[in-house]
Amino acid sequence: MGHFSVSVVGKDRPGIVAEVSRILFEQGCNIEDSTCTILSGQFAMILVVFHAKFTTIGELSPAFDEVRSKMRLIVTVHDLKDDEVVHEKAFAGHPHIISVYGADRPGIVYTVTKELARRKVNITDLNTQVAGAKDRPVYVMVLEVDIPEEVDMKELEGEFGRIRKELSVSITVRPIETLDL
Amino acid sequence: MAILPILKFPDPLLKERSVRVESVTPEISALIDDLLDTMRSSPGGVGISAPQVGILKRIVAIDVSASKRGGQQENHGLLVLINPDILARGGKQIVREGCMSIPDYTANIQRAQWVLVDALDRSGKQVILEAVGLEAVAIQHEADHLDGVLFLDRVTSVKTDVFRRKKYR
Repeated sequence: MGHFSVSVVGKDRPGIVAEVSRILFEQGCNIEDSTCTILSGQFAMILVVFHAKFTTIGELSPAFDEVRSKMRLIVTVHDLKDDEVVHEKAFAGHPHIISVYGADRPGIVYTVTKELARRKVNITDLNTQVAGAKDRPVYVMVLEVDIPEEVDMKELEGEFGRIRKELSVSITVRPIETLDL
Repeated sequence: MAILPILKFPDPLLKERSVRVESVTPEISALIDDLLDTMRSSPGGVGISAPQVGILKRIVAIDVSASKRGGQQENHGLLVLINPDILARGGKQIVREGCMSIPDYTANIQRAQWVLVDALDRSGKQVILEAVGLEAVAIQHEADHLDGVLFLDRVTSVKTDVFRRKKYR
């Protein structure tokens, strides 16, 4: 028995989820976690599934050959070790939302995330898009991050100040506070 | 005075409608004391309702001054509301809510920015009060419990609005 990750990418159209979940059902897989999105017309889905008998990629992956050829989907299967499958995310730091926006230009994501990585800030969610009018595109990036206790927020804010000037973007860091009721 | 166990979803009692309190008896007073003890025993806990401890009576307690952000906003401090009715609502706000009865998740929920509430206080006297900001959120969240409505019932998108709690303090 074992866990697998299954990622599916292809031109968006109705029926992809139905076909992929039919194959998983017929193979005897249990879908434990999944998410999907559409990026510029490409449907992308990633699932974590469990099978009571299968342990190797070779036992599951060929079942998708049918949709690989018929629906032109790229389906990738990985086997996961038990200790890689974590149902409860337990991060140690403080959750924050970082919003970044400005005139579209190369390097915004890299410049910001490089500084986060250097401070061992873990990105737990990331969304980017180009918004605004065609002739005046605005690049928008929203990151959900976990900031470790040791990070000097003043120093990080100073670094962001430098990036704001360098790239002419707005960067705002806000703690995510939950109202516990 | 006692800390009572909190019912956790999917306990069916959380989906029940609670009944109005006819008069503030010594038993009701004792229940209110227990609710306050239970609310304060939860880290960051700023609200509780009687159905969350399995007692289907229309009683809630709220104290947003106990949270850092809530304490910085206009608030009434500790509020005990019996038979609360939200008479009017205004404006919109989205706040990330957590609930002792759904300990593993938090969610961004849209609520009114302002509410006008009619209730009895713990001495049984009628009060009409206005609340704004986080206190208004807390009142709407707890009043929902009295109708068997949980914050997950108010979510519009599981993908973008619901979060597995990354760490429960």
